[in-house]
Amino acid sequence: MPNWLDVVVRSILFIIVLFLITKWLGKKQISQLSFFEYVNGITIGSIGAEVVTGLEQKISVGIVAIVTCAAIPFLAGLISLKSKGFRAFIEGKGTVFIKDGKIMEDNLKKERYSTDELLELLRKKNVFQVSDVEFAVLEPTGDLSVFLKKENQPLTPKDLNLSVASVKEPQTVIMDGKILDEPLTTIGRSRSWLKTELEKLGVSLENVFLGQVNSYGELTVDLYDDKIKVPSPQERPLILATMKKCQADLELFALGTEDKDAKELYMKNSEKLQQAIDKVSYILRN
Amino acid sequence: MTVASEVKQCLASLKGVEASLSSLALRSQDNESKRVLQETMMIVHEVVNDIQNRVGELEREEFQYKGF
Repeated sequence: MPNWLDVVVRSILFIIVLFLITKWLGKKQISQLSFFEYVNGITIGSIGAEVVTGLEQKISVGIVAIVTCAAIPFLAGLISLKSKGFRAFIEGKGTVFIKDGKIMEDNLKKERYSTDELLELLRKKNVFQVSDVEFAVLEPTGDLSVFLKKENQPLTPKDLNLSVASVKEPQTVIMDGKILDEPLTTIGRSRSWLKTELEKLGVSLENVFLGQVNSYGELTVDLYDDKIKVPSPQERPLILATMKKCQADLELFALGTEDKDAKELYMKNSEKLQQAIDKVSYILRN
Repeated sequence: MTVASEVKQCLASLKGVEASLSSLALRSQDNESKRVLQETMMIVHEVVNDIQNRVGELEREEFQYKGF
């Protein structure tokens, strides 16, 4: 076998081996969570390159080396699932850089991070003023996790005492003009339901680039033909508007009638309806 | 339009709201929303019952407008 052919065969073989090994080790190897896996990734890569180009090496030896190198983090991962001490040793612990809004200079020195580097890491988290930070920790992966002071955190509905409708993830049911059956069954819908909804919108299935169903069973579509305007789902706002109208009507009847009992009945029910509106408006509002 | 027919119209709208809420509750994937929608539907249902009775009274008073 000529040398170049040998190299080609070895390359293909080792790409397959590396692919299988990485698949076996899983996503953790790719994200290089711990420095252990980081080091291991480099080693496996080097062995692969060495055996592919160094024709005097035996293929089998290379494969054994790679499998061994891959098995060690695999086993280490299994053990570290059980033991916290082992985990801390293998994957390392986070180092607190900022605590109670104060920079821990000793810890910075221990990790050999300069002030500039700390500022850089903070800027990556969109923090430009150190005094905004309550707590920051350097993760074993080298990322800085930043916990801002309460007044600098983004405002949430909870802060405003707002109740918001909780929603489930939307399901993508049409892709490139084709119906996806699996997500459709997840939300308990059939193809015929989808076809009816598409008819309601007045679009054909072939023209739909992407279609999603939200948590309220409303279908929203994006079309290939961007000139066609598709109505957005109006059912929920419509219910709310009708409720408001009925409530106003009941109040009008209450004002209009002479009958005392009837007046009372209308008043009572208009109040009841108002309560219902208050209760449900956060869901019905878009 | 007479008062009776206006009340009837309102009753019809309310029935529509009740049905829409019910169908929305059935379709909703989230349990919390489902519960709130169902409770609202119950309240609307009570209102519908009251107005229904009132429509009955109105029809007795103004017999010529009967028919619903």
